[in-house]
Amino acid sequence: MTIKLNGRIDSNNAPQVEKEILDQLAGQAGAPLELDASGLEYISSAGLRVLLRVRKLHPDMRITNVSSEVYEILDMTGFTEMMGVEKAYRIVSVEGCEEIGRGANGTIYRIDQDNVVKVYNNADALADIQHEREVAKLALILGIPTAISYDVVRVGESYGSVFELLNASSFSKILAKDPEKLDWCVKEYVDLLRKIHGTLVPAGKLPDMKETALSWARFMGDYLPEEAGKKLVAMVEAVPHDDHMIHGDYHTKNVELQNGEVLLIDMDTLAVGHPIFELASMFNAFIGYSEYDHETIKKFQGFDFETGTAFWRKSLAAYLGTGCETKIREVEDKARIIGYTRMIRRSIRRKGMESEAGRAEIKLWTDELLALLEKTDTLTFSTGELELEAAAENLPEVQAFVDEHLERADCPPKAQMQIAIAVEEIFINIASYAYAPDKGKAIVRVEVSEDPVTVTITFVDHGMPYDPLAKEDPDISLPAEKRDAGGLGIFMTKKIMDNVVYEYIDGQNILTLKKNL
Amino acid sequence: MAFPRTIDLHMHTTVSDGTDTPEAILARVKEAGIALFSVTDHDDIKGCQIIRSIRTPGDPDFLTGVEFSCRDEAGKYHILGYGYDPEAEAIRQVVELGHSYRMNKVRGRLALLSEQFGVSFPEEELRALLALDNPGKPHIGNLMVKYGYARTKEDAIKEYIDRVRFRSEYVRPEEAIRGILRAGGIPVLAHPAYGNGDQLILGDEMDARLRRLTDFGLQGLEAFYSGFTPRLIRDMLSFAERYGLYVTAGSDYHGSNKMVTLADTGLGDPSEWPDGLRRFLRDLREEGRHEI
Repeated sequence: MTIKLNGRIDSNNAPQVEKEILDQLAGQAGAPLELDASGLEYISSAGLRVLLRVRKLHPDMRITNVSSEVYEILDMTGFTEMMGVEKAYRIVSVEGCEEIGRGANGTIYRIDQDNVVKVYNNADALADIQHEREVAKLALILGIPTAISYDVVRVGESYGSVFELLNASSFSKILAKDPEKLDWCVKEYVDLLRKIHGTLVPAGKLPDMKETALSWARFMGDYLPEEAGKKLVAMVEAVPHDDHMIHGDYHTKNVELQNGEVLLIDMDTLAVGHPIFELASMFNAFIGYSEYDHETIKKFQGFDFETGTAFWRKSLAAYLGTGCETKIREVEDKARIIGYTRMIRRSIRRKGMESEAGRAEIKLWTDELLALLEKTDTLTFSTGELELEAAAENLPEVQAFVDEHLERADCPPKAQMQIAIAVEEIFINIASYAYAPDKGKAIVRVEVSEDPVTVTITFVDHGMPYDPLAKEDPDISLPAEKRDAGGLGIFMTKKIMDNVVYEYIDGQNILTLKKNL
Repeated sequence: MAFPRTIDLHMHTTVSDGTDTPEAILARVKEAGIALFSVTDHDDIKGCQIIRSIRTPGDPDFLTGVEFSCRDEAGKYHILGYGYDPEAEAIRQVVELGHSYRMNKVRGRLALLSEQFGVSFPEEELRALLALDNPGKPHIGNLMVKYGYARTKEDAIKEYIDRVRFRSEYVRPEEAIRGILRAGGIPVLAHPAYGNGDQLILGDEMDARLRRLTDFGLQGLEAFYSGFTPRLIRDMLSFAERYGLYVTAGSDYHGSNKMVTLADTGLGDPSEWPDGLRRFLRDLREEGRHEI
């Protein structure tokens, strides 16, 4: 039965309210009870005690249509933990509102200058909303800039969650309006992507993307020649488990610029896994879904297929830290394998093999997939290489690149600091002397091997041959003013690292630094 | 040591606003299988004196108790006192102080009602009213109904009594705590999260409150309370631990006035009792205070 609660319940009327409730419940002990709080404005602790006592008679009592103010009281006091408490939902209309994002589970609209609402596709979305709120909170705690929803509302027959997003513009919008900002967008987009992929997630907090990808691969078994199907599943199985975060739907509509800060939104696909799974969904967003019909991306992102392709290529190059076309192609092919697998499955399930359009795109993607499976053996790759101008102003980028790998390897802060000193010494040397007075490139590679944990940092340049180790160690017993300038840096590098080797091969200076962690 | 399985250290008799006489409450406590109990009337200890005089060997263990309503610039509090010597001057002084403040309040209220609304009662009714242990708004309300000033007690309170406002004095928390301590008792904050019973005091506010009260000598928190959710109990236990306080458990039973049953405190099996409660019972027993 349902009993309505009205006005205020405090010490003045609590006994009376209690009596009224009990009178209505007379003879119904244990029956399901709903307290409809739509008219309840305030409840004091005397009122809370009434609720607690009524619940003793009706253990499955629920309180519904609770206002935000009352909900806050029930939440603070732990009532929401011990009984069903359902909020009253504000009703919001999105008619005529600008659509600013669209993902697998919902569409985001701007409802006023400061707020957006994500409307879920699923009519019974309260569990999804709760999930997204939890993972967004988790991401925020782990240092990923994102917006947390502060209210759940009713939008027509669906639910929506409301976020504050002031003066924000998605990267899609920026790119559509101002194509010259492409390089800036790429840089910010990749910086955030690196940050996401560098974030270690406590075990069990997020789903494992590999499991999902494996289910796609298995599904494809029925639609591919047996050998190819088996190879696909085996390749996904061979991807090592990775506890770092991936967003799962990382395209330019889900990255927002708000007051100069870059924010990640649409967090419901958050997962853990190897970055290849992320790259696969990025490939799909910028190229895959629009490969058959180039107009698709225009509808979805607001910019054209060429812009999408350029953005994807530049982002991938920046993410891999290389300008090497072969390397970029190689990783792109791996991403395409997962990407096509996902799209073919989606198309089969949505459009079926019966429709003309369905058959055409499925055939296009399946042919591509089979060709890729032919020439590819693994889905993994390393991001351990950075190629850039050998210039002092690039030092922060090199340091950030090295740090990222060290953090992934749980390098102790002290060793990380020491390694930073060595990296600075070597890179500044190359920047100052290798090509002087001209300019040239340097390659920095980082590898971390396990058991024992060893980090290897390699610097490669094509400048004039120079062996920094040939120089004699400085006499550090001399007072500072009597020492030779220079030489101290490389001396410190040798002290800090466990092994330093110089080689000159094929016109390249190769300096390898090793340290056991 | 072996702990009593069932305890309830917070209940009211007809000496304050309960509906059971001290005699009746003793019978109910026995019926409920409570092994240790305390009677905590508002601002009065007469109930404890009666219980002491009627207890016979084999009855449940008894602990003297009281619940003082206190107020100062920082807020309102209910402070429980346990295991004090009911003959001690110090505890009687607090009771009398409270009584005199309340008498002043009733007199002040009656004077204002007369002045503003022309309400007056026959002399013998006034004498009977002032002879009550704790005359208050409901008693005046009943008289107003009896003499035709209002239709119901609630109307009388709402339409007249609550409209006459004046400053009144209250027992301060440090006065109650000091009185309990001097009488050899243990001062404990009642239903801490609910303040004076109708508030919500949590987090920083609770922290500030406890800093003040422990400076005055507060020694315990009623962390187990019939009106608390598991979350509030957890919160209160962590405050007790942080401040090194005793922990107590009470139902706040008022007889048929409130739908609270005896021994409903939220306290689980003795194996799960927190250290603060074990210490409270052990220290009392070692000092022989609840074998009275």
